Amino acid sequence: MADFPSVEFFETLRERMNANRERFRRIGTADVVLVVKIDFPDHVRCFEVVFDGYRCESARALPSLAAARPGAVIVEGPYAVWREMVENIQRNGQADLDHTLNTLSLMDTPLRISAANQLDTDLFYRYQQTLQEFFDGAGAIAAASVRGDGQAAAS
Amino acid sequence: MGNFSSEVEKAFDNLSEIRRGKLDLRWMYANPSGWNSRARPRDERGLTLEDVNAVGTYGVVPERGGTHGSMAPRGCEVPPQTPSLGCYDLNDKSLVWADNVAKLYEEAVARQWSSARDVPWGELTPQPEDLERAMCQVCTNLSEVEFIAGDMPAKWLWHINHDFHEVKCFLATQIMDEARHLEVFRKRALANGGGLLAASPGSEELLRLIIEAPDYTVASALMHILGEGFVLTLFRNGEMFALTPVEKKIFRLCMQDEARHVAYGTMHLKYFLERHPEREGEIHEILRQGEEATFSLNLNRENAEARAILAGGGLDHIEEGIEKVRYLFMKQIQEYLHRLKVAGIDRSSRLAIPVELPL
Repeated sequence: MADFPSVEFFETLRERMNANRERFRRIGTADVVLVVKIDFPDHVRCFEVVFDGYRCESARALPSLAAARPGAVIVEGPYAVWREMVENIQRNGQADLDHTLNTLSLMDTPLRISAANQLDTDLFYRYQQTLQEFFDGAGAIAAASVRGDGQAAAS
Repeated sequence: MGNFSSEVEKAFDNLSEIRRGKLDLRWMYANPSGWNSRARPRDERGLTLEDVNAVGTYGVVPERGGTHGSMAPRGCEVPPQTPSLGCYDLNDKSLVWADNVAKLYEEAVARQWSSARDVPWGELTPQPEDLERAMCQVCTNLSEVEFIAGDMPAKWLWHINHDFHEVKCFLATQIMDEARHLEVFRKRALANGGGLLAASPGSEELLRLIIEAPDYTVASALMHILGEGFVLTLFRNGEMFALTPVEKKIFRLCMQDEARHVAYGTMHLKYFLERHPEREGEIHEILRQGEEATFSLNLNRENAEARAILAGGGLDHIEEGIEKVRYLFMKQIQEYLHRLKVAGIDRSSRLAIPVELPL
């Protein structure tokens, strides 16, 4: 069981990506550090996911955004939006037309993309298919694991 | 034997000598300092240009390309009698180079896709007529403008000194990318009961500026940073307003390609301006002209109306669509200015067009 959000959740996505080797080799290499920032009413949780070549190298919780590696691309937004996205993926097996990462972030709301400079931000566009399929991996994680309160065990 | 030219006869003589066992073999011992190379793949992505460039002096890219003017590969021994082809006049590294170019080439090769195979064409569904027509118009326009980014590198490719093969290889991938963009939008227009609609006379002005740009860097600034930067946002826009999973996938895959081209252009301009700061004024001037042409292109009737209809979700919601298009225009401008900042050029106070649409 991998609750969202938790390191276990992102670890599961990482394992799924690395196990789905041929699929991600077909999509191509991706070299980017993605930070998922989830805003709760009274606190924030950050997770760092590192993509290296055809693999997802690591996933970890960050104590704060400042702890992210240089060059990281930050995707941030309210917990409710993240939860809806994950639930949508779990319902459909992949994000539907209204719940892709790009669609949710293009207008800078409800999700927002940022980085230290525009070229780093552009990595989010450059590796879009990889990132979307990484998150679409949530389709195989049990739906019950998305908790309504977002208070999955900190790890 | 029939009558052959002396050149052909000489080749026959060479063959005869080889068959008689009279071998030359001097070539075996050419370039001794380049021998004993053992390039190794760094990881599972395989043996890349960067891996090969890590071996000996093969990765040393000269500031000035070889004067032999031939296609001899960088790092080999070039016999003195090697003739110049006389076409390579982009011989300064600063005129074409970007520090990310070898990596971008490998990435481009690894991330190639096929519009026939990788787009789920079977998932197209009938659309309301206004939306289908708007999508077909957007596709008509993209099919029209996309191949400028194939024609422009093709125009300059054969001028680039072979010592900068990383750049030539990358530009070759860009030409392939643009070929795919041209055909995938054409396919979409023809695949769902619609068809190609109106060409855009206004687009041609920007295309002319790019194709007639006086030198490669000026053309690159116009096309890679301004033109493709704007189109990159347009592709993000297309992914968001997709009618079916088909457009979703098309725009997403095109977006990725475009982001590579923008990354090269930005880093090339940076490399160039660090070495030729005196040419900043020239870059400002061409960008000024490009901004005006891009503004017209963005807001001509066939493009602006079609995008607003898609953004709003139909002709009846065009007001909502215009509001979204307005926001996206602002975003295009912001991202364009930020990319220029990375390249070392500030146009925030010199922009020739408004930062927001006056709507």
